[in-house]
Amino acid sequence: MSSVSFKYVKKKYGDVEILHSISLDIADNEFLVLVGPSGCGKSTLLRMLAGLEEITEGQVSIDDRVVNHLPPRDREIAMVFQDYALYPHMTVEENMSFGLRLRGTPNDEIDRRVHEAAQILQIEQYLKRTPRQLSGGQRQRVAIGRAIIRKPKVLLFDEPLSNLDAKLREEMRVELAKLHQRLKVPIVYVTHDQVEAMTLASRIAVMEGGYIQQHGTPMEVYNRPANRFVAGFIGSPTMNFVSGYLEPDKDKLYFKNDSMKVLIPFNIPLPGDKIDYKSVILGIRPEAIFTERVLDKNLSDMIAVSVEVVELLGHRKNVYLTCGSDRLLATVPASFASAPGEKMFVWFCLDQLHLFDKTSGARIS
Amino acid sequence: MDSMPDRYAKELKAQKRRQFIWLACVHAILILACIVSIYPLLRIFSVSLRPGDRLISTDLSLIPAGASFASYANVIKSTFFLRWLWNSLVITAATSLIGVSLASTAGYAFSRFKFPGNRLGLTLLLGTQMIPAGMLLLPLFLMIMKLGLVNTYLGMVISYSVSSLPFSIWILKGYYDTIPRSLEEAALVDGTTQFGAFYRIVLPLSTPALAIAFLFNFTSSWNEYLVARVILSDSSRYTWTLGLFELQGQFVTQWGMFAAGSIMVTIPVLIVFLYSSKWLISGLTLGSVKG
Repeated sequence: MSSVSFKYVKKKYGDVEILHSISLDIADNEFLVLVGPSGCGKSTLLRMLAGLEEITEGQVSIDDRVVNHLPPRDREIAMVFQDYALYPHMTVEENMSFGLRLRGTPNDEIDRRVHEAAQILQIEQYLKRTPRQLSGGQRQRVAIGRAIIRKPKVLLFDEPLSNLDAKLREEMRVELAKLHQRLKVPIVYVTHDQVEAMTLASRIAVMEGGYIQQHGTPMEVYNRPANRFVAGFIGSPTMNFVSGYLEPDKDKLYFKNDSMKVLIPFNIPLPGDKIDYKSVILGIRPEAIFTERVLDKNLSDMIAVSVEVVELLGHRKNVYLTCGSDRLLATVPASFASAPGEKMFVWFCLDQLHLFDKTSGARIS
Repeated sequence: MDSMPDRYAKELKAQKRRQFIWLACVHAILILACIVSIYPLLRIFSVSLRPGDRLISTDLSLIPAGASFASYANVIKSTFFLRWLWNSLVITAATSLIGVSLASTAGYAFSRFKFPGNRLGLTLLLGTQMIPAGMLLLPLFLMIMKLGLVNTYLGMVISYSVSSLPFSIWILKGYYDTIPRSLEEAALVDGTTQFGAFYRIVLPLSTPALAIAFLFNFTSSWNEYLVARVILSDSSRYTWTLGLFELQGQFVTQWGMFAAGSIMVTIPVLIVFLYSSKWLISGLTLGSVKG
């Protein structure tokens, strides 16, 4: 059993605070993905856990043991770096066994573990090669092999797939998911790629500006984003945002602007200090915009739009629409036939509407 | 009027001619430079082979008439040549080892750690290289004298090490800067200490720079004359540079022995150069990180 805990962790460089009082618990066997744009502090947080960055304030614990002042070698962690960081003067075998040799593990045990890890990662035939004789994907496998061979308490990944091409990244993603099922140790994985986050994570922590904006299961974060940033960051293509205001009409509440009127199907607090009905943002994911009426869906009234651009993706099409002064993106079946310039109607799926406060960006629910 | 293919053929021919002239000029300059640098060596080799009575000669042949290795035997037998060579070797080896050891660790500190005075220190180190060596002779001598190290190996080693250290530090610091930090971080996570990461990862990857620093230390202290002249007065401690000048008398100079000695002292430098050349390979870090 291993667990990781951050308690009110801060990081400052001089007077500049990079991480603001981060608190986060990572349970045993959990695959936590720290996701966010460049400069949000996710790698810094990971490096603080690894012992490669000093902790300015707060507490980091592994297995209930505070590790703030422990050097990396005493933290029982292993890390896969973005740029692989393989030792170029050593063979694959020596790279993988480096940590074990430092710990004085017997040679036969080292041999067994190297071959076991190499078999899992399908790099057995490359054990005698040096890193320069390997492709990018093979190097990344060696880097992963070097990390898992020591059977660490926590595995850390710092954007491990960002240097690979799209196809290889997809393959490695599957490999990592399989590896997690096999290893059963907590994994902390840093990425800026929300697809990686959604596909790999058992829990996602979305970071921005040195804060954790939201953490939860991938579906929680996707279906109930805590704020406009999370809503825009998670999901591909990104969520549509439309500015407008809320107006009660009889016993119902509507989102309105110059070009649309959409029923808000859920209850929200009355206007007050925290919610300004006059200035809100409606969020709707591209797949929740329908270009024809679907009977089994809870849909809005029809909204008049005109087609601007159509992108064929093979099995789907991305349709860029204009609706008054707003632009919308809908993902529709490949059979969608309208051409740019045509006028048409769309319907929003009311079960997938999101409302955000325009000023704070916070979710209204 | 020429047809199009004819014009192209003429243009091609002219282009080839221009290229030939350019290459011929470049080669002529290179050959001249080679002759200028090789001629003194051949000349001194020729002098070392001449019999004693034909030292001043207008003969340009490389191997003179009556050539013999008598001067080589004479310089070994009738002078303290081997003693001078030994002194030079001890001082040079110690200087090179101490110089490279100190520079490799100091360069690492300058490259990797932030500390007050990092930039200033580097600038000052560079500044010391701007001062002419002659200017430092007197203070250096006074310092060595106060330490009681005149006429000692240690005195010479200290003097040589400190004078070549700044350059070596700069060379090594510059090289360390090109080694990705993530390699050391990976080693730290794998279980090394900071020094372990330096010793096991950074040092093996820095062999080209270490070899250059070693060669610089070796050649500069091997060939040094001025500092040795000031610090060493006991002829049993003479380095070869001082020793060979002993052969230059007020009225007679034994040019044959002088030349033979000069040829022989190049042998250790040649060996060191040839041995070090295998470490002077670049691209050691290739493949370690995504480039």
